[in-house]
Amino acid sequence: MLMPKKVKYRKQQRGRMRGKAWRGSEIAFGEFGLKVLEPGWISDRQIEAGRIAMTRFIKRGGKIWVRLFPDKPVTKKPAETRMGKGKGAPEFWVAVVRPGKVIFEMEGVKEEVAREAMRLAANKLPIQTKFVSRLGQE
Amino acid sequence: MEEFNVTAEIRNQTGKNAARRLRAAGKIPAILYGRQEDSVALSLNPKELSAILHSGTGHNTIFSLEIQERGTTSVMIKDWQFDPIKDNLLHADLVRIVMDKALQVKVPITAVGEAKGVKVQGGIFEFVLREVEVECLPSDIPEHITIDVSNLEIGANFRVSDLPLDPKIKILSEADLVVAHVIAPKEEKVPEPAVEAVVAEPEVIKKGKVAEEGEEGEAKPEEKKEKEKK
Repeated sequence: MLMPKKVKYRKQQRGRMRGKAWRGSEIAFGEFGLKVLEPGWISDRQIEAGRIAMTRFIKRGGKIWVRLFPDKPVTKKPAETRMGKGKGAPEFWVAVVRPGKVIFEMEGVKEEVAREAMRLAANKLPIQTKFVSRLGQE
Repeated sequence: MEEFNVTAEIRNQTGKNAARRLRAAGKIPAILYGRQEDSVALSLNPKELSAILHSGTGHNTIFSLEIQERGTTSVMIKDWQFDPIKDNLLHADLVRIVMDKALQVKVPITAVGEAKGVKVQGGIFEFVLREVEVECLPSDIPEHITIDVSNLEIGANFRVSDLPLDPKIKILSEADLVVAHVIAPKEEKVPEPAVEAVVAEPEVIKKGKVAEEGEEGEAKPEEKKEKEKK
């Protein structure tokens, strides 16, 4: 799973997700992309599941870019534990996304193939997304 | 080249509030500068600018801007901002054009033909550089630079130095930059079934502090027990 190699602090506060993703909101590498429409946390497992779904569908046809990285640790308390006694242990990692961010990009395949691959990947995510293409963006 | 005419009004109010009111009224704020003249704040119809951006010449289109009470001037879109979700135009920078002075613009590159590396060898065509920076007179700005990639094999690169040369145009981008190449497809490794998922933790930069925290944590329950005994 994706996670940072080195961190300054083991645990983080949850934070807020206000505003839109003004950076990383345009297709930068490929021809097609998947744009996030609502704010949320995308976990390392969800990113990996989406990537695998796309890779398996396009087989050996194209190239994929994953433009998000889970750099925020999420902690969890063990089951059947009383409240208090400090914050739980880091359990998994998430990427914080704001509406407008292009999270996956693809090149080297036809639009119909890219659209279906992105649909499969979007089904693995906890938030609403839309398919975008470079032609529509310009 | 298509001809476009855009009409604009002078904008007296500036700032976030006024800009938002303007957008609500169906117009967008814009700014006009260049040619060593004063900058002018404008308001214009976003549909007219959007039509220019979506035209064949795109952002390199030179069009005439008619400003109320100030006459007509030749301009070009220098910069523009889109809403990341709704994709509607929010703001535009327009620059006055001097027709006899060379300017620097980014021209899109269009690839034609199917690369040999894709057709025969089963590789993946990757377009690395989609725009190239050129210097030329405003009247000589090409709509796009077309490259023929049909002879490109796996591992071969098409560089800026291989772009078709036009004596009127000077390419400013570095000559050794890769425009396009064909790469060999990577096979997805089938992951082995994990015996037991070990949750690995990344290295914490401040190691000393973490150890102290751990010691404190261990010491606390003992202290409590002692207090209870008392």
